[in-house]
Amino acid sequence: MIWRRKTKDAKPQRNPLDPDRRLITDFVPPEGVPIRFDVAGLGARLIAQLADILITVAGLIAIMIALVFSDLLPGTAIIVIGSLLFFAIRVPYYSLSEILMNGQTLGKRLSGLRVISADGRTLSAHAVTVRNLMKELEVFVPGTMLLASSQLDGVSAVLLVIWILILGIIPFTNANRQRLGDILAGTYVVMLPKPVLLPDLAEAPVSEGSFSFLPHQLDHYGRYELQTLEALLQVNAASLNRAALLRHQSNLHKVAQTITNRIGYPTRVPEDQAGAFLLSFYRTQRAYLESRKLFGDAREDKFHGSRDSQPSGPS
Amino acid sequence: MSVAQSLIRSARFRAEREPDWRRLEQIVTKTERRGLRSLSLDEAQALATLYRQAMASLSVAREISLDRALLAYLEALCARAYLAVYAPQRRLRGLFSHLLVYGIPGAARRLFPLILVGYLILTLGGVAGYLLFQDDPTWYNTLVPTSPDDPRGLNSSAAELRSVIYDGADSEGGELSAFAAFLFSHNTRIALLVFCLGIAVCVPSSLLTFYNGMAIGAFVALHESKGLLLDITAWLSIHGVTELSAIAIACGGGLHLGQAVLFPGELRRRDALRRNARDAVKLALLAALMLIAAALLEGFGRQLVQDIPARLTIGLSVGAFWIAWLTLCGRGEAP
Repeated sequence: MIWRRKTKDAKPQRNPLDPDRRLITDFVPPEGVPIRFDVAGLGARLIAQLADILITVAGLIAIMIALVFSDLLPGTAIIVIGSLLFFAIRVPYYSLSEILMNGQTLGKRLSGLRVISADGRTLSAHAVTVRNLMKELEVFVPGTMLLASSQLDGVSAVLLVIWILILGIIPFTNANRQRLGDILAGTYVVMLPKPVLLPDLAEAPVSEGSFSFLPHQLDHYGRYELQTLEALLQVNAASLNRAALLRHQSNLHKVAQTITNRIGYPTRVPEDQAGAFLLSFYRTQRAYLESRKLFGDAREDKFHGSRDSQPSGPS
Repeated sequence: MSVAQSLIRSARFRAEREPDWRRLEQIVTKTERRGLRSLSLDEAQALATLYRQAMASLSVAREISLDRALLAYLEALCARAYLAVYAPQRRLRGLFSHLLVYGIPGAARRLFPLILVGYLILTLGGVAGYLLFQDDPTWYNTLVPTSPDDPRGLNSSAAELRSVIYDGADSEGGELSAFAAFLFSHNTRIALLVFCLGIAVCVPSSLLTFYNGMAIGAFVALHESKGLLLDITAWLSIHGVTELSAIAIACGGGLHLGQAVLFPGELRRRDALRRNARDAVKLALLAALMLIAAALLEGFGRQLVQDIPARLTIGLSVGAFWIAWLTLCGRGEAP
């Protein structure tokens, strides 16, 4: 590889709220608060690219058919317009749509992707042009050659495969899944996040019964367990069907039992009160962990006490 | 339990600010649907203020809150608000005029030595092709990409070659289809490859440019051997000045990219590439522009203008126009 690494890239960081996603960690807008975008998956980007190709080719064909049937122009003029359009649906289409639609082409809009500038500033026309010019080298030239591959001799075919392989590997060599054009332009492709605000469980009314916990009972868990519990409690029971609702309730009961065992809660929790128990445990635990955090004792997960030793098995 | 009594600090924090976030979300959604232009003055001002407040909230929430719902929402809201606030503000027309007045001429002046190198490689190729042809005319078949129905070849008579030069026998369908054919032609692809392959340490770029020069050298030598040197020069000059310059300029841009890989200096290679891409891309755009101009000249000018002095004059004056634009335009401070 021609890339010499003088500074090590940061390890790909996972989204703490959803460990399957990769996060961009070095994106800092001018306000100085880092925003953690989700790195767009290569599958989504491939789909966006295919959608763009379909859209542009379909548009081109539609325009050509309209021109042919409208009989306004002589045949040669139609050929000229066609050949001009054929070029316009490549670099110019991608560049102009990303400039005009703030980092999205039609295909990207469909799959919820967006191009952002890696330095946290406005996406510049220069960056957009660069990344799409390189797209010519990465997608269109090999693509058209691949379509015409039956006419290639052995050596050219091998060269073509090497070309595609090298350019295809580049996105896997860096944490933020940048292709060559992205690296040159200084851009990332990210998922466009959807802001959905779920209710604050700390304010939901507790239906019945009151449970109280002692400080030593709250020392067992950390942020990860708390937020996993929150995800379970945020499930909207009204939207579940009967079977799912039963499963949800038995899950709540199982979790409640596990927690009572682990923290040494003196009384058994009846099945119909599992939800209320978990909600009040969630509140108390969250208040406790947040105040510990304020005092500088941030607890990541249940292994917080044994960080230095090997994490022991599950509870 | 009312908010005021809520003992959890992060819950109070959230309850106090939630209406502002909701309002920001509403403005951002409107901006995404209908653009910044659709906002009223109040909304535009609110967008800026609420965005900064939301960013501050996010920063605080990351420190004090373990509320997963809140964190996920704020992250997403701030990201979308950021994209709305820092959307590109410039009009397309402004972008183009800035590019034409300052961007391209400035880049061409800064990279003048590399463009010169591009010309040099092309000329060397031309000389090599010419000499090879003098040595053994069958080189023509190797060097010049020919199609079966092209009337020009080693065995063509002077009259056949002359008919191509003056009647356009190589393009059956008249001017416009010649233009169309050009867009798919050899030289456009060459220019594109020459630029893009520059990144592979300059070698493929230089080789391709050299090879293209050789083809032209052999082509000229073929006509010279039939006593048509002046005719072919005039025929080539009308669009060739522009077209070959485009290849030399694309080569210069490619070399600038290759330079970054070969000599990154203090920077990482990718950062050096990013730095050099700023000017190199402008050269690529210039080359694209010149290729379109060459296509127009070839499609129309070459068929309409038939005598040698007029062809030479047009070719040279177009060349003078490019030089004047690139040397004189946008010398002042860019706004």
